Amino acid sequence: MDEQGCPRCKTTKYRNPSLKLMVNICGHSLCETCVESLFVKGSGACPECETPLRRSNFKLQIFEDPSVEKEIDIRKKVLRDFNKKQDDFPSLKEYNDYLEMIETIVFNLCNNIDVDNTKRMIEQYKKENKEQIRKNLSKVSKDEEYLELLIEQEQYESFMRKKIITEDEKRERAAKRKHKQALIDDLMFSDKSANEILNSHKEAVQQEQEELQAKAAATAFSTGIRIGHHNEIVPLVKQDFGQLYTYRPLVMEWCGPEPPSMDDIYAEGYLKNVRTASDSERAGGFRESIACHRALQDAYCGLYSFPQHFSIPGQADGPDALLFTFSHDYFVILNMFVDNLLHGLFVFIVDRLQCIIVGLCDS
Amino acid sequence: DQEVAAYFLTPQEERILSRQYEVVLRKFCAEFQPPMPKCVIGTSLSYFKRFYVNNSNMDYHPKDIMLTCVYLACKVEEFYVPIGQFVKNLRGDREKFADAILSFELTLMSKLNYHLTVHNPFRPLEGFLIDIKTHCRDIPNVERIRRPAEEFLERSLLSDACLIFSPSQIALAAVKFGAAKERIVLDGYIKNTLLKTASEKEAENTLYQLRRVKFIVKGVEPVPREQAGAIQKKLDSCRNQENNPDSDVYKQRMLEKLDEEDDVKAKKRAKLSDDK
Repeated sequence: MDEQGCPRCKTTKYRNPSLKLMVNICGHSLCETCVESLFVKGSGACPECETPLRRSNFKLQIFEDPSVEKEIDIRKKVLRDFNKKQDDFPSLKEYNDYLEMIETIVFNLCNNIDVDNTKRMIEQYKKENKEQIRKNLSKVSKDEEYLELLIEQEQYESFMRKKIITEDEKRERAAKRKHKQALIDDLMFSDKSANEILNSHKEAVQQEQEELQAKAAATAFSTGIRIGHHNEIVPLVKQDFGQLYTYRPLVMEWCGPEPPSMDDIYAEGYLKNVRTASDSERAGGFRESIACHRALQDAYCGLYSFPQHFSIPGQADGPDALLFTFSHDYFVILNMFVDNLLHGLFVFIVDRLQCIIVGLCDS
Repeated sequence: DQEVAAYFLTPQEERILSRQYEVVLRKFCAEFQPPMPKCVIGTSLSYFKRFYVNNSNMDYHPKDIMLTCVYLACKVEEFYVPIGQFVKNLRGDREKFADAILSFELTLMSKLNYHLTVHNPFRPLEGFLIDIKTHCRDIPNVERIRRPAEEFLERSLLSDACLIFSPSQIALAAVKFGAAKERIVLDGYIKNTLLKTASEKEAENTLYQLRRVKFIVKGVEPVPREQAGAIQKKLDSCRNQENNPDSDVYKQRMLEKLDEEDDVKAKKRAKLSDDK
């Protein structure tokens, strides 16, 4: 954003890109914090050019180059005094000469060329044209007039639009009321049957609506795209979707008896033994069957699990080992999936636990 | 070798000490305000046991780890208690405890291999009770089993059962124990509904496992107090001071870590200004 940085505290600009630079009349910039610290009294000197400055002269820098800001400042001040318009001059050439003079003044002041002379010229001009300057202050220039005219037109248009809308509404309401009245009158006084009257009225209303709609047929959508046939064809971008997905149902390894499915839960009456969900729970989507299903899955899963390098003492095969030691790092991983609620991971850690179990056969 | 055993803790002594601290943990959870659900107690005991399978009491003192386990379990089991309220339940220097807990939390998680989900046997117990009520219509008032079964589970938490058997096996052993107490015969239920899809060998293995659970849980004995006290004193002399929040070594390390962080930041700053 700003490669140079504040000339005084150099590092602050990099650390805080949102920090703003303030520029003043001498054309040198300072970051906000430096301004505050230097001008704590209210007036001081510019650190680069030693010009005496006031705190109030600092304004936020818009352009990157502080010399541009300086020129803008000078120009504004000069133009406040040199405010003649084209109409004030009898010929175009004289107007151009006048403008040239302004430019020379601004250039001199900006680049510190012949400052005293220039200032004297300004004073002279001001004295000569005091009346003119005052009068011109109040006159509005042509451009401004044109802009004001545009604004007025827009306001008028929006006002008219609003009026039309309200009038339409009123008309609609009146028409409806009239129809209702007519319907009631007919029902009361005419000879035809009630159904006939109703039908004829409905047809009349429909016809009117169709007429209105035909008038308002649009030619373009609100986004600007034209309705109707175009010859412009937008090319379709060919997308590469990758490999086609084939569904494979989830396979669950229970390592135990298979728990009942959700249908079984409803069918076999498990829910009688489960606490029913309260109204607030049901509203959130909770059902007793979900909790029941989960409890049953937890109960059945892993029931048959048995360490692999193991044998029951007293069996036909295997030496009679009365002392069992479990192998290191024995993992059994089971996946539990509860409908669309949770993923549960079973992790068993049996590690270096020496368990002396003697004669477990009858305990 | 004898000298080593005399100075450092032997594995048996470590087990006794861990048991002692599990009892303390139990008491702490029982008196905890707000009242703690059972699953938090089960989870924290699981963490404690698992941690000390791979780490030594001398490296990490059980009293720090015990509090960290409970705090972590509260978070995991969705019973979050802010650290301030947590240490209110303790007696002593609360700030020190809070600092210790927070500093050990990450260590505990990494030593547990970040396996933080613990399946406690409480839900399988519920599942079995529901199943029994649904399938064995002839048994009146199955709820009688619940009390003794829950006591069995509480006692199993003091043993190593949760490290060896699956939670459903522990829960089934609890149900069998409760039924036996209330003189209900559940063998039919077990054979028919549970083991009907199992092969011969599997069924036998499962029944064997259930017997083992019962044996282990029955063999749980209370820890002799004097022994535990003596071991604690021994631990104080031989513990690894690097992980002791009270020691100077530890505090030095903490300061160094902080300095390290500052160094890293300063280096980054220097690099940036160089680039510019």
